[in-house]
Amino acid sequence: MSTLSLIAVDLLVALVGVGTWLGAAIAAASGRTRATRFLAVSAVAVTLVRVAVVGVLAGRGWWFVQEKVVFALPLVVLVGAVAVVVLGTRGVAAAVVPLYGAGFAAAVGVLSPLLTGYPMGVGQALASLAVAAGATLLAWRFTAGPAAPTRRLLVPVIVLGLVGVGLELLPASSGAADGPIRTVVSELRGPATPAPGGSVRRFELAARKASITLASGTSVEAWTYNGSAPGPEITAVEGDLIEVTLTNVDIESGVTLHWHGYDVPNAEDGAPGVTQAAVLPGGRHVYRFLADQVGTYWYHTHQVSSEGVRRGLFGALVVRPRPTDAGADADADPGADADTVDLTLPVHTFDGIVTLGTHDGVQELTVAPGRPVRLRVINTDSTPHRVSLVGTEFRVVAVDGYDLHEPGLVRGEALRVPAGGRVDLSFPVPDGAVALLVDDDPARATLWINGDRASTVDTAASVDTTGWPELNLLAYGTPAPTPFGPDSAFDRDFTLVLDRGLALVDGVPMFAQTVNGAGYPNIPDQRVREGDLVRVTVVNRSIETHPWHLHGHRVLVLGTTGSPLWLDTFDVRPGEVWRVAFRADNPGIWMNHCHNLDHASQGMVLHLSYEGVGSPEGVGTPHHGH
Amino acid sequence: MAAMTSVMRRVYVGIVGLLLASGVLQFYFAAVGAFARPRTDDSFSLHLANGRMVFPLLAVLAIGAAALAKAPGRLIGLTSVPLGLAILQSLIVAVGNALGGATEQRTTPLALAILGLHAINGMIIMGATSAVMARARALLSAPTAPAPAR
Repeated sequence: MSTLSLIAVDLLVALVGVGTWLGAAIAAASGRTRATRFLAVSAVAVTLVRVAVVGVLAGRGWWFVQEKVVFALPLVVLVGAVAVVVLGTRGVAAAVVPLYGAGFAAAVGVLSPLLTGYPMGVGQALASLAVAAGATLLAWRFTAGPAAPTRRLLVPVIVLGLVGVGLELLPASSGAADGPIRTVVSELRGPATPAPGGSVRRFELAARKASITLASGTSVEAWTYNGSAPGPEITAVEGDLIEVTLTNVDIESGVTLHWHGYDVPNAEDGAPGVTQAAVLPGGRHVYRFLADQVGTYWYHTHQVSSEGVRRGLFGALVVRPRPTDAGADADADPGADADTVDLTLPVHTFDGIVTLGTHDGVQELTVAPGRPVRLRVINTDSTPHRVSLVGTEFRVVAVDGYDLHEPGLVRGEALRVPAGGRVDLSFPVPDGAVALLVDDDPARATLWINGDRASTVDTAASVDTTGWPELNLLAYGTPAPTPFGPDSAFDRDFTLVLDRGLALVDGVPMFAQTVNGAGYPNIPDQRVREGDLVRVTVVNRSIETHPWHLHGHRVLVLGTTGSPLWLDTFDVRPGEVWRVAFRADNPGIWMNHCHNLDHASQGMVLHLSYEGVGSPEGVGTPHHGH
Repeated sequence: MAAMTSVMRRVYVGIVGLLLASGVLQFYFAAVGAFARPRTDDSFSLHLANGRMVFPLLAVLAIGAAALAKAPGRLIGLTSVPLGLAILQSLIVAVGNALGGATEQRTTPLALAILGLHAINGMIIMGATSAVMARARALLSAPTAPAPAR
């Protein structure tokens, strides 16, 4: 049984527990002896079932059961036992209040963690206890009348609650004192010259509002770079220097350029409030970095990014290997192999319309059979997409820009692309037709290669891909040496537990997306020293997928059985635990966040910061930085 | 004291009336979301805001008003039923998606079978709230305190 199913079963059992305990109390208050006995016995049985379920869940990790083991179960077991003993020895009338107590204890045990998320602290436990006790006193007062000693007991309960709330509101300790700042982020710029043999590639991107027209003729009011969405594709050859001048025409909230998956020097990272101030209308910012990572990447604004990226402020960044043939025309499509059909396909949802590039319907392509094709699929949305290739077998040659080791042939399996992630698919064009489907839906954005041959082979028209299993990238390809692995000695070990709960986000209380119980900017930085080998464990206790994205570093997934997987964005699904590692080799202050950008704006953002590196003055207020 | 209780009973009826209105609006907002095109994350924002904030807040206020209005214990218990069922509404969605194995793109038959209960529970909430309303109004004409011998 999956961890998520266990979490759901536990929730269900806990709710039935609340119902049976409260039901027993109501039956007792109505003087119905047999119903009381029956419901009380049921409540005991349900509570024992919950203990068992939590025991199994504990095997999946302490993070999934912490509040249940230290608070919810002890409380309901204790109060429930008292109620049952009273019921057995002193009868139904005497058991009314203890049974109500057990019901309210069970209720706060379920609701309090749902409201505040992981982890359950002492303050929250005390406050929850006070709520259960207060509700029990109320029930006592209204069943026993004014004779009940509830007024006397009320004061300690209120004190208990206030102490709990007070403990919760205490400012968290700031952790290790900051050392002296030797470098400010703004000094960590990219080089001014390309690598030997490379050239400078200059681009100008002007952010502005524009109406874009999709292939079907539908027009969308978008936020664009240079009037198009996706923005212009930035291409370069390994070793080139990429220089991009960003200006802002009329995006009032400001824009930046973040190079997603590209480990640029910190000052070029485009994180407003951290590495630069957002570029406001009339403003300008120049980015420079070396094209030293070959593969498929993308760029997007990082200012109010949940809205900016959704409306169209993104584009592809593709770096190809330097061709050995010196005569190649590097300016037309730099580094492109003239024989390969090389297509970049950003998947995006504009106003609810799924597109591949600007195609919201069928995109047709005619290619001579036998020619190699490379499809670079980029998920620019905030939720994952499923991509299936019908009509041919293929190889997944790269994930997040990184070439996989000895990728095998795939057929009849779909690929899950996390928000922000990329997959490169490669295959020679077969004799028949090929279709690339997004989310198994041929009615949506679809790429057809030689679609006129559709009748000759099994194609999307006749194949239902919804039942296709998902390709497991953790066991795809073959192993290869990596500079470190699961058994390395790590200098730092961090754990991020993702959940939902009440928390302050930029000072505003909300039902936030939390990391270790806090929201941005109250989540402590992950502090590292340059050269550290760092392991990060990411645990998802919530019921939503969190695509985790660390800036400035690609991380090695630990525990793969196939090709090494170096990712910049990985989907941590509900109930999953991911262990990844990286070398701290790119000094700076880096955003580390959920790439479901709505979740990021609801608090799921923290920083990875290097000792000795400080924020420059004047980068603007951090609270617009995500 | 009796005058105070009498005022609180009117307040109690007023708050339960608002609770009923919020419940009616909740159905209206659900239809707005269901028919919105193109479907975006914002389509159900009114339904979410009313369901997660307004209705629970009014439900809590109603329980407090019932206590201050010196409603009998049974009626206070009944008044807390809409709040409990409203919390259950969110849990139905959570448990349904999780147990049914639904993903962001695709629901499953089992998930839908559970998620459909969201509408049934919504009707039960309206029924419970209406029952509270009927008794809250009946309370208006009840004596405010055990009548002193005179």
